[in-house]
Amino acid sequence: MALIELKDVNKTYQGAQPLHVLKGINLNIEKGEFVSIMGASGSGKSTLLNILGILDNYDTGTYYLDGTLIKDLSEKQAAAYRNQMIGFIFQSFNLIGFKTAVENVELPLYYQGVSRHKRRELAMEYLDKMGLTDWAGHFPNEMSGGQKQRVAIARALITSPRIILADEPTGALDSKTSVEVMNLLSKLNREDGMTIIVVTHESGVANQANRIIHIKDGIIGKIEENDKHDAWGAELIK
Amino acid sequence: MRLFDTDTFREILDSITRNRSRSFLTGFGVFWGVFMLMLLTGGSQGLKEILNNNFEGFAQNTCIIYPGSTTKPYKGFSKGRYWSLEYADVDRIKNLVPEAETVTPTVALWGRSISRDDNSYSGTLKGVRADYANIETPKMMYGRFLNDADIAQERKVCVLGKRVYSSLFPEGGDPCGKRVLVDGTYYSVVGVDWKESGAIQINGSPADMVTVPITQLRKAYNFGNTIHLLCFTAKEGYTMSDLTPRVRQIISRAHYIDPTDEEAMFLLNTQLIFGIVDNLFKGINFLVWLIGLGTLLAGVIGVSNIMMVSVKERTIEIGIRRAIGATPTQILGQIMSESVILTLVAGMLGIVFSVLILAGVELGMTQDGILKAAFQVPFWTAFLAAALLTVLGVMAGLMPASRAMAIKPVDAMRDE
Repeated sequence: MALIELKDVNKTYQGAQPLHVLKGINLNIEKGEFVSIMGASGSGKSTLLNILGILDNYDTGTYYLDGTLIKDLSEKQAAAYRNQMIGFIFQSFNLIGFKTAVENVELPLYYQGVSRHKRRELAMEYLDKMGLTDWAGHFPNEMSGGQKQRVAIARALITSPRIILADEPTGALDSKTSVEVMNLLSKLNREDGMTIIVVTHESGVANQANRIIHIKDGIIGKIEENDKHDAWGAELIK
Repeated sequence: MRLFDTDTFREILDSITRNRSRSFLTGFGVFWGVFMLMLLTGGSQGLKEILNNNFEGFAQNTCIIYPGSTTKPYKGFSKGRYWSLEYADVDRIKNLVPEAETVTPTVALWGRSISRDDNSYSGTLKGVRADYANIETPKMMYGRFLNDADIAQERKVCVLGKRVYSSLFPEGGDPCGKRVLVDGTYYSVVGVDWKESGAIQINGSPADMVTVPITQLRKAYNFGNTIHLLCFTAKEGYTMSDLTPRVRQIISRAHYIDPTDEEAMFLLNTQLIFGIVDNLFKGINFLVWLIGLGTLLAGVIGVSNIMMVSVKERTIEIGIRRAIGATPTQILGQIMSESVILTLVAGMLGIVFSVLILAGVELGMTQDGILKAAFQVPFWTAFLAAALLTVLGVMAGLMPASRAMAIKPVDAMRDE
């Protein structure tokens, strides 16, 4: 069984004018894959990511994450699954401003009830991996974009999640830092076997992935195998 | 879920102390409310004591009877007749009015010369029984008040008033055992009453008084059966106003006075006076609590309001927390705890500051090391205020916390 199994997932935003965003998504992602999801804005790629990240519900279909059916969960269950199975990386980093780098990294463990001492130890270990040991005591507004995103990656990794979900991880970074961050993610994929799903609209970023899924108007248009990393636009980032 | 452990506490403390201006603004309203409430309560307490000092040492349910001249003819007597109270009246009231507790007679002589060696003073000589202390509580500086043995044995002993003492004993010190001369008779001093003149006086100011056993005066001045005043108190649970008509009846009958002749006999009911003062302070207290609680409530609403804004401002933070695994209950707990801790800390500071200021006022009111009026807030009032604060803190946090609970983790990503 694949790590992620989506079968005929539909999602409609209710409102004055109901918006059918996802129109039957079928998708399997295996453990250890590096996948990017591409699409224009309004294509439904963010909604798909929210559903994958258990941040949002879907209406019909099934979503299995590591063999667990993710459907109609209580808030408490959803929070627990998010905490244990998923690591998030956001476009705007989403670090808490009044917490230092190391405190931000250890926050997921706080909600797991890990002791303060152990938390700090583990957080320092992951910051070290990101090359940010010296920045542990700094607040987010004292760091550069690339550093902030690396703190966010450390935070995403600290719970040893099943998948990393990255929403436009390079959207707020310059091209050089973008390359660094994407290299970091692909290294995580290659060396640690971490399953990574990146949502982006930049083809250069998408090109780092081994599989590119194009979404258009709520359905999966085309799935590109990208072993050679030579998809269109690859030169933009190289 | 762990509701209270040091870890949760530190998390809450961090988010309070690292957002100083927000926390300060939130707490200030409550601080001010509690500060005002405590200051006003303490202030009115002190004011009440100052006023009460005027009635100090006076039984609150006392009635004093003194005779006037009749204004109505009755049983063959013409009007305009003078009459006197007598010892038998004491027993009449005692026997016929069971609700009366202490019934005691007094006699008094004004303008007596009191001397010791070269010092002399013109004061009032007052004869009482030992149970007169139940009517007007003496404030003994030296020695003791008259006792039953003094009365029974008609001893020549006396208790000096404050001014009499300072005139006859300018050198100060314990005068007990020394003798003073009043109208050619030596009395040995057994005590000094330090009571100042208040709003209610019987036979003039207590400071000008030389109090001696009534039995001794009766013999020395040939008063016979005559007494000048009759004082009595009501037993607990009885209202003086219920007793006075019956007392009037009894005394009138014994002295052949028309019971409807109000001016022939004066009945001074202290309960009426105390009632007026009591009502005044009930009113002041009501106002104090109204203003104080109002200010406090405004403060709490302020807290709620600012917390509301701060929750809005913290949407992203809360969204992030939710995205990385906080349950709604944990978020609720956090916001509520922040609110409770903020109100409690601010409130406690309010209590401490008001207590400090009241202590300063008390320092200013102290004379000769004796406190004239206590301005301090009673412990239980402060305790009640603290308990109230916790409840108010919870209430203030309720709305913002439920607002925070409604924040979805996706809101964290919707920021730009």
